[in-house]
Amino acid sequence: MSIDMSQFYQVFFEESEEHLAAMESLLLELDVGDPDLEQLNAIFRAAHSIKGSAGTFGFTDLAETTHILENLLDRIRKMELPLRADMVDAFLQAGDVLRSMLDAHQGRGAVDQMAVIAICDRLRQLSSGNAAPSLPVPAQAAEDEVAVRIPEDTGRRLFDIQFVPTDIAANGVGIENLLDELRSLGDLEIVSRPAPGETGPAYWDLRLLTDQSREVFADQIDFIAENGAWRIVEDKAVAADGTTAFGFFPDCPGVPDELRGYGFFRGSGQRNEAAKEEDDAYGFFEPLPAVAAAPVEDDSFGFFEPLPASPVASETKDDGYGFFEPLPSAPAVIEEGEGFGFFVPIPPPPVPAEVPVASVVAEPAQVALGKPTERQAKTAVAASGDSSIRVSIEKVDQLINLVGELVITQAMLLQTSAQMQETAPERLLNGLAQLERNTRDLQESVMSIRMMPISFVFSRFPRVVRDLSAKLGKQVELKTLGETTELDKSLIERITDPLTHLIRNSLDHGIESPEKRVAAGKSPTGTITLKAYHQGGNIVIEVGDDGAGLPREKILQKARERGLPVSEQMTDQEVFHLIFEAGFSTADQVTDVSGRGVGMDVVRRNIQSMGGRVEIDSMFGIGTRMTVRLPLTLAILDGMSVAVGDQIYILPLSYVLESLQPMPGDIKTLSNQARVVQVRGEYLPVVVLHEMFRLKSAWNDFTQGIMVVLDADGARVALFVDALLGQHQVVIKSLEANYRKVPGISGATIMGDGHVALILDVSAIAGMARTNMQKAG
Amino acid sequence: MEVMMQGAAAGEDDLVASEFLTFTLGSEEYAIDILKVQEIRGYETPTLIANAPPFIKGVINLRGIIVPIVDLRIKFNLGKVEYTPFTVVIILNIAGRVIGAVVDSVSDVLSLTSAQVRQAPDFSGSFDTKYILGLASIDQRMLIVTDIERLMTSADMELIEAAAE
Repeated sequence: MSIDMSQFYQVFFEESEEHLAAMESLLLELDVGDPDLEQLNAIFRAAHSIKGSAGTFGFTDLAETTHILENLLDRIRKMELPLRADMVDAFLQAGDVLRSMLDAHQGRGAVDQMAVIAICDRLRQLSSGNAAPSLPVPAQAAEDEVAVRIPEDTGRRLFDIQFVPTDIAANGVGIENLLDELRSLGDLEIVSRPAPGETGPAYWDLRLLTDQSREVFADQIDFIAENGAWRIVEDKAVAADGTTAFGFFPDCPGVPDELRGYGFFRGSGQRNEAAKEEDDAYGFFEPLPAVAAAPVEDDSFGFFEPLPASPVASETKDDGYGFFEPLPSAPAVIEEGEGFGFFVPIPPPPVPAEVPVASVVAEPAQVALGKPTERQAKTAVAASGDSSIRVSIEKVDQLINLVGELVITQAMLLQTSAQMQETAPERLLNGLAQLERNTRDLQESVMSIRMMPISFVFSRFPRVVRDLSAKLGKQVELKTLGETTELDKSLIERITDPLTHLIRNSLDHGIESPEKRVAAGKSPTGTITLKAYHQGGNIVIEVGDDGAGLPREKILQKARERGLPVSEQMTDQEVFHLIFEAGFSTADQVTDVSGRGVGMDVVRRNIQSMGGRVEIDSMFGIGTRMTVRLPLTLAILDGMSVAVGDQIYILPLSYVLESLQPMPGDIKTLSNQARVVQVRGEYLPVVVLHEMFRLKSAWNDFTQGIMVVLDADGARVALFVDALLGQHQVVIKSLEANYRKVPGISGATIMGDGHVALILDVSAIAGMARTNMQKAG
Repeated sequence: MEVMMQGAAAGEDDLVASEFLTFTLGSEEYAIDILKVQEIRGYETPTLIANAPPFIKGVINLRGIIVPIVDLRIKFNLGKVEYTPFTVVIILNIAGRVIGAVVDSVSDVLSLTSAQVRQAPDFSGSFDTKYILGLASIDQRMLIVTDIERLMTSADMELIEAAAE
């Protein structure tokens, strides 16, 4: 069975990116002085997942680097090494290196081998640092994982996994990876494995004690196993508790002996003491072969008898014995002295009596263990409840298109029924009203599929700020608000770069150095506030800083040097907008962070291409606030329909300021070509749409039509149209899919009557107006 | 290039006949590869596109897709340009795009073997010979076998940005 692995690569890349992102945000949240164990575990799990799947897919460089990373993480997690700030730095760098490897595997850029070696050395150095003698890591990791996980094992279950691997998997590293993967999920025990060199079908029998559901690992087994040659049986009766494991796992490597001891101590409420005793117990157990299990058991009970938990414990003991006695294979096992012999013949243990005991034990345990358990339990719940599927964007878009169709058809029906007036039967009208409601609900929920919280973007900025502020020697705190605000996925992807730039800009130009800040009477730590919220039909994202503010005079002076048309009379808004001009920079010196004057123009262009706009508010010495307004989604637009001749056009509502009917004499011409209209004392250039589009207007006099005042990137123009028709939400369709770009048109939409209406590109129209004016002037 | 293409086509198509859709423009009859045709529908008034050449009538809504409509009669100065309930639009699927072409009428679906298609004599005019795969005669009719894909994607048609020549 040969599988084209490349089809899974994309999923692997995406998942690894997500794991890396999760790891990074966790690292940044980590309190170095007092790291939260659960966070450390989460970081470890992320690294481990990357390692596991990288190995499966044969990306050895990724797997190796992650492995080294994992080693260090593991030691920190086990409290063998104290967490230090330089370790966090090293982790972050390692994350970057891994990301660059991922990119390289996807054909984007190359990996800096020096950086890889450097970071691997650094991690090794950190992990060998000052800790206790290091043990063989994989085995140790597996055992310790068990130790760490035991407190949360209220939901643990035992799975019996049997499979026959494919030839490829059996000969390659596939099996090893699978075993690693399973070990990461819980306690793995290999009941039977094929003898090395054996030919013919290889049979594996594993037992996994885990708190995960079978779905978590079933896929991987399916992947490794020969077509359908696998089976997972859940041993329900083994309610994941140390007590159960007791009789069963005398000497299996997956379940270290602490486990047994642990199960007993739970009820005692004396955790520390128990832990100590556990060590003692450990000593007892280890050298003993499985035959000795029963006597040892007695011994360990001896330990506990004086403890308050003993009633429970003894109850458990009885049950535990109950297990052994009826087993016919038990004597044989004793003779063999071979622990493994136990498991093969045992059917899924049918011991319902076990369950209540387990719950009795578990209950006080939870109370006794306190905080960490609760936290872990919570995470476990969150993980299992948060199920999702991966669907290609194309499918979602197809769905959105279909719903768009439905909306149009529904509008058509509604229009037809309205034309029927009284002749339409009541029931038809009711049905149509219902259809309208349902369609709207459907549209909303379909649209929400594409919506993602903006925290996907925001989460990367703590890192940007951390790195950059360190580099610039500034103290900056980043505050984020409204991370749950949702916006379209395509917008999320496209807003990241402009926002990063705005933040870098704030950091470099906005926030002053600590000395300057103190001198200005501010706190030495600057604040950058990132805020997202809904306003009207828009998403508003604000990047604010409490830095120096924009120097109006300096901008004006620079603008004059560059020969831009500026005057003292310009409003602050207009002056500040100059910084979006290409090549404009007020920085006295160019740093490698910013100051080259490229960027802000790109920011503005990117945001405009998304149908959004940027505004700047600034007070000198107080701070600056950049406000980005974006439409909720790229697929739907609030539009105003206007008539020109027999054609209907859609104007994006966000650009419309006002509309008015010009009075005779309001319209003047410049050198008999360009026209301007006077609006409250201000002269605005007039764009006559029917002239521009060579259409026949219904009017031959401007006073009969309507002037729509548009605000296109800070410049105002008046657009002359025949009439205003109404306001709609329109679904944007591409004109370029089957045709080409048309100047002055940004797209098309389908109106209620099924006809196509074109959407005007306000920026381009304003640009045309400007060229007209320049020609005239 | 032309000769090569035809040579290759002749080799493959000697025995296998391809199906062609024939339509009329004025008094001329054209044949195009039927596999490029998505559907045939009646003419409806399209939405004008500003500053487009006159043969591009505009765009229509074809079940949610915006489709440009080209009037081949205007493009090639053939026949009377009038729109009646019988005016036909052939919706073509070409190079991943959907394009509508207005013709006078659709007449037939025919099988032509490459032996029946003869090379067209060179002539110049608005309808360049490079879009003509050859001429075929069926009874008394002469069919102009057209490379519709090449024609529609050409820069002449102004349908596609940076059209390949």
